[in-house]
Amino acid sequence: MKHILLDTDPGIDDSLAILLALASPEISLEGLSIVHGNCSLEQATTNALSILELANASHIPVAVGCELPLVQPSLLAPETHGNTGLGYAKLPGPRTKPQVQHGCDFLIERIMSAPGEVTLVAIGPLTNVALAIRQEPRIVQSLKELIIMGGAIRYEGNTTALAEFNTYADPHAAHIVYHAGIPTTLVPLDVTYQCVLTQGDVDRLLRLDSPLTRFIADATRFYMEFHDEYQGVQGCVINDPLALALTFAPELCDYRELPVDVDISGGVSLGKTIGDFYNYNKKPANMKVALGVRPRDFIELFLERMEKLAQRIDSIENKIGTQKNADSR
Amino acid sequence: MPPKRIIIDTDPGIDDALAFLLALASPEIKLEALTTTQGNVTLETATRNALAVLELAKANHIPVVAGSVVPLVQPLRASAHVHGESGIGNSKLPTPKSKPREGHAVDYLIERVLAEPNELGIFPIGPLTNIAMAIRKEPKFAKAVKELVIMGGAVLEHGNVTPQAEFNIYVDPHAAHIVFHSGIPITLIPLDVTHKCLLEQIHIDRLLRIDSPITRFIRSAVETCFAHSESYGGKGCALHDPLTLATVIAPELLTLKELRVDVDHSGGVSMGKTFGDFLGKTGKPANMRVALQARGDDFVELFLQRMETLAKTISV
Repeated sequence: MKHILLDTDPGIDDSLAILLALASPEISLEGLSIVHGNCSLEQATTNALSILELANASHIPVAVGCELPLVQPSLLAPETHGNTGLGYAKLPGPRTKPQVQHGCDFLIERIMSAPGEVTLVAIGPLTNVALAIRQEPRIVQSLKELIIMGGAIRYEGNTTALAEFNTYADPHAAHIVYHAGIPTTLVPLDVTYQCVLTQGDVDRLLRLDSPLTRFIADATRFYMEFHDEYQGVQGCVINDPLALALTFAPELCDYRELPVDVDISGGVSLGKTIGDFYNYNKKPANMKVALGVRPRDFIELFLERMEKLAQRIDSIENKIGTQKNADSR
Repeated sequence: MPPKRIIIDTDPGIDDALAFLLALASPEIKLEALTTTQGNVTLETATRNALAVLELAKANHIPVVAGSVVPLVQPLRASAHVHGESGIGNSKLPTPKSKPREGHAVDYLIERVLAEPNELGIFPIGPLTNIAMAIRKEPKFAKAVKELVIMGGAVLEHGNVTPQAEFNIYVDPHAAHIVFHSGIPITLIPLDVTHKCLLEQIHIDRLLRIDSPITRFIRSAVETCFAHSESYGGKGCALHDPLTLATVIAPELLTLKELRVDVDHSGGVSMGKTFGDFLGKTGKPANMRVALQARGDDFVELFLQRMETLAKTISV
């Protein structure tokens, strides 16, 4: 079983990635580190705890990381994810609390305690990961793999004409992480924008009447309105779950080894990720980039797992409910 | 007045070592700790040198904590041609017996500062990597630091590593950007004033009249600095880092100006350049006090007197 740490800023598609991790028997989700991004750090932390509670997974530790990008001013995305970061979904305030330990220290400790074992999936701005690398350089050798949702290689940006949100929000952190020497897989907009969750898909999930399916429907309804209004996309693009799925189903994508860099010079290309396809710069590849994807295979996998997770949670809830009824008799 | 309590964040470094000695020789200052960073030398050498200089001055009760190995974004750059292979010129201090404290300098700085909000001043005299990381890791850090007195930058003066940029800032311009805009009260001691404080051979000859490991160390430390200075027609070895302490022991020697200062980190020919908004063109408020004039000869005299006093107490 693969040991997974998830660095995240939930966020609608982040919350779907968390749920997919919990629904996947091939992996063990060992903890979440939270970063600023789709919403404020505080809101992202609340959301992470609430989603874990929704899925009966509050035993999974949540550690709070960085509030601000390294060098750039703060950039949040309320137009994409709503004021709470979860679209129209309203989850009850969490009963659990985050860890006392800082998100960076949490990552360092977990990675160093199991050298060669941990896969880190980073689906927000890379501030926590970059700071962890600079504070404890040995995590570079100890990480098994890093999977990053971010960048737009041969695809238009979703934040500027050229840049993808996670990378644009902290391009300097991305620069640090890309050049750290960790075995890295990049999951850019080139592939995530092929993976569109449609209203038909959500309707299929809603055939199961469950808090989980209702959450997905409420969260993605906002996301779909955003994609329609700003990008002319029918349905919504679920970037982050694809990155998570590659931990156990790498065959969903086709990859290319590439030298990839990110523009940090502060001009119109700030945050642009650049693949050196013809190796003009004569540098070795620093990552594997997903450039092709089988979108319906992924969406089908996602839907099946959400259905199973919804049924599993409901059966647990029913058991607890039955137990409570028995107790009260 | 009780002595001012400070932590020096440092990459020793010839003039870094002289700054420790001046701090130890100054009753107005209580040196609480040294945190080390890459810069003039690698982190490993910097930490070793910090421990060795403290032992030389019989001050190894002062904790040394190792920090950043590389700058935030830029590649590592250590400058053996200025500071010698050992980092402290031709000096050959014995391998220190004491060890650095466990833990990372960034966490040590956060812990110390949050334990006593607005009590501790930090004097960064190397690249600003540790300070920037502490600011980003702990958002409460910036509000709890009493002040930063930074050796770095060249505001109107030419640079010493590129035509425009000063070494400490150039090594980690992104860290400098974070620190400059953190809201911490900052005093900047740039090349504009440190170039006025030149230690010359005549001063070394005067110190050597006292037979002490301190005076012998200073001589061997500055030899490479003199040679480097001569190579471009300079007159002596600038007391860059010690001059930060003038803000405590002789503030009347410095003329400070409230100024908006920024640093170029866009990666072109001005990378690492610090520039002041003298005419208020940005419409933004000042973010630091900058020393633009110094009575250099008076500072050198003060430095020599303090070194003489220290040398007399450490004569073995």
